Amino acid sequence: MAEMWISMGPQHPMTHGLWTLKVKVDGETVVDTEPDLGYIHRGVEKICEARDFTQITTYCDRLCYASANTWSHAWIYAAEDLLEVEVPERAEYIRMVAVELQRIASHLMWLGAYCPDVGNLTGMVWCLREREMMMDLLQELGGSRMHYNFPRVGGVKRDLPIGFAMRCRAKLKLFLDRIQEYEAILDESTIFLVRTQGVGYAKAEEMINHGVTGPNTRAAGHDYDVRWAHPYSIYDELDWSPAVERPSIKGSDCYDRYRVRVEEMRQSALMVLEGLDKMPGGSETHHESGDPAILGKAPARAAEGKTGFHHFEDSRGESMFYIAGGGEARGKHPYRVSIRSPMFITIPYAAKCMIGYKIADIPAIMGSFDPCIGETDR
Amino acid sequence: MAKELSADQIQSAAEALVGSVAEKFTGSATAEVRHHTGGRRKNAYVYIDVEAAAWRDLATWLAKSHKVDHCSMITGIHWPEKADATWQVVAHLMRTGVRNPGVVSGRVHEIKVDIDALVGVDVPLEFEISMTLAETREPSVPSVADIWVGADWNEKETWDLVGIEFEGHVGMRRVLLPHDSPTGYHPLQKQHKLRYHDFNEMYDDAQGFGRKPEDVGRVK
Repeated sequence: MAEMWISMGPQHPMTHGLWTLKVKVDGETVVDTEPDLGYIHRGVEKICEARDFTQITTYCDRLCYASANTWSHAWIYAAEDLLEVEVPERAEYIRMVAVELQRIASHLMWLGAYCPDVGNLTGMVWCLREREMMMDLLQELGGSRMHYNFPRVGGVKRDLPIGFAMRCRAKLKLFLDRIQEYEAILDESTIFLVRTQGVGYAKAEEMINHGVTGPNTRAAGHDYDVRWAHPYSIYDELDWSPAVERPSIKGSDCYDRYRVRVEEMRQSALMVLEGLDKMPGGSETHHESGDPAILGKAPARAAEGKTGFHHFEDSRGESMFYIAGGGEARGKHPYRVSIRSPMFITIPYAAKCMIGYKIADIPAIMGSFDPCIGETDR
Repeated sequence: MAKELSADQIQSAAEALVGSVAEKFTGSATAEVRHHTGGRRKNAYVYIDVEAAAWRDLATWLAKSHKVDHCSMITGIHWPEKADATWQVVAHLMRTGVRNPGVVSGRVHEIKVDIDALVGVDVPLEFEISMTLAETREPSVPSVADIWVGADWNEKETWDLVGIEFEGHVGMRRVLLPHDSPTGYHPLQKQHKLRYHDFNEMYDDAQGFGRKPEDVGRVK
């Protein structure tokens, strides 16, 4: 049969954002793919060159609309590396709570979007229901529902509100029960299993060579995680182990990538519960904004010739900011900010991953890698 | 307590690597152990300053002999005020140790790394590789996209936004800018100014009502 190119996107339910996947098909079989990105390129890296370090946090929030907190924290850790800032321990705990709640919310958003991709609409409404609980908690911390602008260089904007720990524990305990409900409806749903099992095989070594990291690699059977390999924050004081999935001999399929994210949500919820118990000063105390217990001192200018970078375990893989400071002549602005977006690297790999499968498998394979176009196009 | 890589493990792995770079690449690359300066953990990482001509050799050697399996990011910086280092290419590599899970009697077993037992070339490590090019209109460095496929789209992006060519890169094209962008237009070069570059008036007084004559040109 004659081969032909078809365009999936920029408006297509499969894309989860604004981009085009050009697919070369032979009948129903995919024989080649070419992703075409850049539809929502906003030039964040250039804008950052004219903003100071606190202002950039808001732009980094907007890098990913499903996982704002992890991106602003990734930025803040890199900025602290550049500015040589120490962070109070209580602030690190609060950050961990914020990041892990965001990771749960992001994975729920992913699962909520993925379920209708593969024909299970109930999963979507259930996931979005639980995501509301996480959003409520994050709203208490950051003050808004989507872009929190929560961390600051040297600490966090606000302490935990009074009663937050109680509400957080109650909601997470409920959430841990509800995860079992997701597993029940998805693992016993024939259509979900048929669409996800045995498609989109990806092997761990191949993925790391292609720059794919995070849950996608852990689904392929290796528990590499930036949080233990390049330790930061207070993860060493918590009792956790990275979620890892047992793949098949051909590699991880879409089902493995779903399983590893469900397990990761469970790990994150337990991490938050433990962090609330161990928080120095107690999770029920509340300091005023700007208190030294939650916000350390930070210089506004970087030293001459200094650079900073930080690898961060984002919800979608390893994100990184590289900052070159400019010294006195540049004032309070960084000279160059460079952003590593995990999805920018993963989307080309996911596109190669679907070669050989049928057109109907494209949404299942693409969705299982958790694409987010906000961070991809920056 | 969760298991994490200790600072000593990272430090000794970084020192070992720096020593072998000094032996192998005398004259073309200088390596040093640097430390992160922020946060709670001041972990070590390897910083290598390499000549662009030796970059491919270094990359091949790191990948083959030192298990550097992950190219995290390749990016470029334009420094128009520096005549001898107008262009800088920075590569961030990582050694992750990720490998395919083994098969024991017909069953796949996922890998849970015994972190305390990691030594030598199995310790995950961060690398920052920097190379500079003197003033030129056509900056170019060798491509490493065939060593780490992850470098492919990073190099595309660096060419697209900064305008640095990668010799040997197959299929270079615009990725973030429109496909019909003008030839030679690379917005992260510093001759392209942002409005309000270098001062912050637009935030303090967006409408300009309170701006006094003596404020003009004030740099915050």
